[in-house]
Amino acid sequence: MIPYKKRILKNGLTVVVNRDHTSKLSAVNLLYKVGARNEDPNRTGFAHLFEHLMFRGTRDVPFFDLPVQMASGEDNAFTNNDYTNFYLTLPVDNLETALWLESDRMQGLWITPEKLETEKRVVIEEFRQRYLNQPYGDQTMLLRELAYTTHPYRWATIGRSTDHIEGATLEEVEHFYRTFYRPSNAVLALSADRDEEALLDLAEQWFGHLNDTPICHQSIPQEPRQEQARLKIVERDVPATTISIAYHMGDRLSKDFCTGDLVSDLLSGGDSSRLYQHLVKEQRLFASVNAYISGDVDPGLFILTGQLLPTTSEEQAIEAFEREIEALKHEQPSAYELEKVKNKFEANTLFGELNVMNKAMNLCYYEFLGDLALVNREIDEYRSIDADRIFEFADRIFRTENSSTLIYRAR
Amino acid sequence: MMKLPVKTTQPTVEIANAEVITLCNGMKLYILSSDDFEVMRLTLLFRAGSSRQRVPFSASATANLLAEGSQHMTAREISERLDFHGSYFDVNTDRDYSYISFAMLSKFVPQTLQVAEEILLRPTFPEEEVETYRLKRKQRLAIERQKVDVRAREAFASAMFGANHPYGQCFEEEAYDRLTRQDVVDFYHSHYTATNGFAVCSGRVDEKERTAICTLLEQFPVCEELSHKPFPTVEQQYEVRLTHEGAVQSSIRIGRRLFPREHPDFVGMQVVAAALGGYFGSRLMHNLREEHGYTYGVISAMVNFEREGYLAIATQVGSEVTDEALKEIYHEIERLRTEPMDDEELQLVKNIMTGEMMRILDGPFGVADVTIENILCGRTNSIIAENVARIRQTTPQEVQQLAEKYLRREDLITVVVG
Repeated sequence: MIPYKKRILKNGLTVVVNRDHTSKLSAVNLLYKVGARNEDPNRTGFAHLFEHLMFRGTRDVPFFDLPVQMASGEDNAFTNNDYTNFYLTLPVDNLETALWLESDRMQGLWITPEKLETEKRVVIEEFRQRYLNQPYGDQTMLLRELAYTTHPYRWATIGRSTDHIEGATLEEVEHFYRTFYRPSNAVLALSADRDEEALLDLAEQWFGHLNDTPICHQSIPQEPRQEQARLKIVERDVPATTISIAYHMGDRLSKDFCTGDLVSDLLSGGDSSRLYQHLVKEQRLFASVNAYISGDVDPGLFILTGQLLPTTSEEQAIEAFEREIEALKHEQPSAYELEKVKNKFEANTLFGELNVMNKAMNLCYYEFLGDLALVNREIDEYRSIDADRIFEFADRIFRTENSSTLIYRAR
Repeated sequence: MMKLPVKTTQPTVEIANAEVITLCNGMKLYILSSDDFEVMRLTLLFRAGSSRQRVPFSASATANLLAEGSQHMTAREISERLDFHGSYFDVNTDRDYSYISFAMLSKFVPQTLQVAEEILLRPTFPEEEVETYRLKRKQRLAIERQKVDVRAREAFASAMFGANHPYGQCFEEEAYDRLTRQDVVDFYHSHYTATNGFAVCSGRVDEKERTAICTLLEQFPVCEELSHKPFPTVEQQYEVRLTHEGAVQSSIRIGRRLFPREHPDFVGMQVVAAALGGYFGSRLMHNLREEHGYTYGVISAMVNFEREGYLAIATQVGSEVTDEALKEIYHEIERLRTEPMDDEELQLVKNIMTGEMMRILDGPFGVADVTIENILCGRTNSIIAENVARIRQTTPQEVQQLAEKYLRREDLITVVVG
């Protein structure tokens, strides 16, 4: 349970605060409602490149990290398909340093051609390190391309190719900044051992004066219903073949989200889960297996994936996945098993609320989703899931014509 | 430096000392109780790391197979009981120690400890579980070794200590084929004893939790102190270059063997390492990433084992700029040796190091991790305030003297894979 207070400033910035009574640290999280799904298909990877540029200094603060570090703070950021998130922790007495800096770079960013060129090279090295120079590095990229034909979820946050990053221009940088980086397109959350009203006032003091000029941007093309099963096979120099199957499911605020998440836990949440027990331990078909949901804001994917042992054929592996899927459609999970995955969800929630940074990050995220109260209500949503809902979900989602299978074959 | 529109203060960093209980079998339990949380974590450490094993992979296999079946429960039952209560069981082995942790909600402490008792005291290491484990791990290691970074890490350890030294050794994947159940059973019986381990507990620890934990730990058998097998002489190789087919990046490791944490210069060298590559904006990060765009990241740090310690710099750079990157790394090291750092930069490094310590100490589990580190050095938690004071006293002259003394070019080990 995260108690909070919320205020919307005149310029449209939403502020959410939490009083933490134990930590000597304060956390500041600033979320911009822009991610890879907002990108031009010919300039993918841009939202992430832009996140990097946000650390390249403003006219008043040439090096963003320096004052943070001088205040014994630490900062970082990440970009995903839906949003860009900047976060800082610092000793509670130094909280205002973070507010000053975030306020400053919301409108004062100063990018020169030289800064842009160097940052492109850094991001290209990141692309190589994480996706090109790793065994299985391109696997999730291939699966996205297969599962989506239209929605921008068909590319990863890093982008479709290093060429897209290479080609980014200063004009594009400025346009992107004006379009997406402004108060009414952002959510700010603070967590610290300070009075909540005082925290809200501090936010007002540092962000209240910023202007907001809404600029419309393109709506996001939505994915049409999949009518036919898809299959892609690639061969790579890796020691073991992996197989992934993706199914389309509902969006983040639909009932599908909790149900899908719970079903993925039945399949692979912990060592007692079905896939691990049946396919890894009993049948010894896989070295590892996983089931998870992509968890995106727009309709997302339910993904099964497994790494085959050398003695297992691709047909055997796919059949094994199908058996588990069929069981979900026809056999009711026991009350015990349902209780187990619900307990696990509750424990994960509690373990996740142990520090100020996680709390501020969660508050921002749920406010961004458009349902802040869900941050404390989601556990009840999980608790309410019954066997019928699982049947309904499995029947509707796990259909062959709704599937995309990627075989990543060891050469 | 620009004037800040807001004041910043120097935080104090300290944590309470753990309460220590010595049990009837001689095992020590350290308790860090805090009523602010509804969770608890129990961590056990045993001197059972890979440097203690006679048979390759037997140390990690023992730790990883503890929960795969016990006298009263099958592997399946163990995982069911842990998952049902949302409890986490986690093991880790390094060169010196094995770490076994249970994290649980306060309301499920008795249920979790019941399973913990089976895992810790009555494991049976069933033959078929050992077999599954061998297969999985062998495949996993083969995949890991396709990464330039993993190969560089292994080559660096062996260049620093020697291919036959317990801190430098790496084994072929095929060594998994020769690992037997008996190797694991033997390792368990000789190393998982009251004499060879201790426990740390943090979070909400009331009287009933305390009693339950003591009852569990008191069942560990007493045995003779394990003799320290003397380590072979260290053999170093200063330049290692390995090729890696198809690599678009090279992994670089540069460093040198120094001393364990007890050494009077250890904290000073931590400051040197931090200035060089311990933060975003450090000298190496600024040079290699911000100025040249050679890499996505570079770090340097002091690493410590029980009987050794070393400084390491690690990065992955574009293959085409490998030599340039090496040149810049040597250049930055040389600059630390020849020019005193200005006060402002050193102040920055100090503040970062204190902030880092505060962040690690945030939350009940972080406090336990730091306490464990301190116990391993034979110190109480008051060492934290001492170390912070020591960091804050460091002068630019001292940083230069340390770099001059310990980071001579001819003493550096360089490993490149790519």
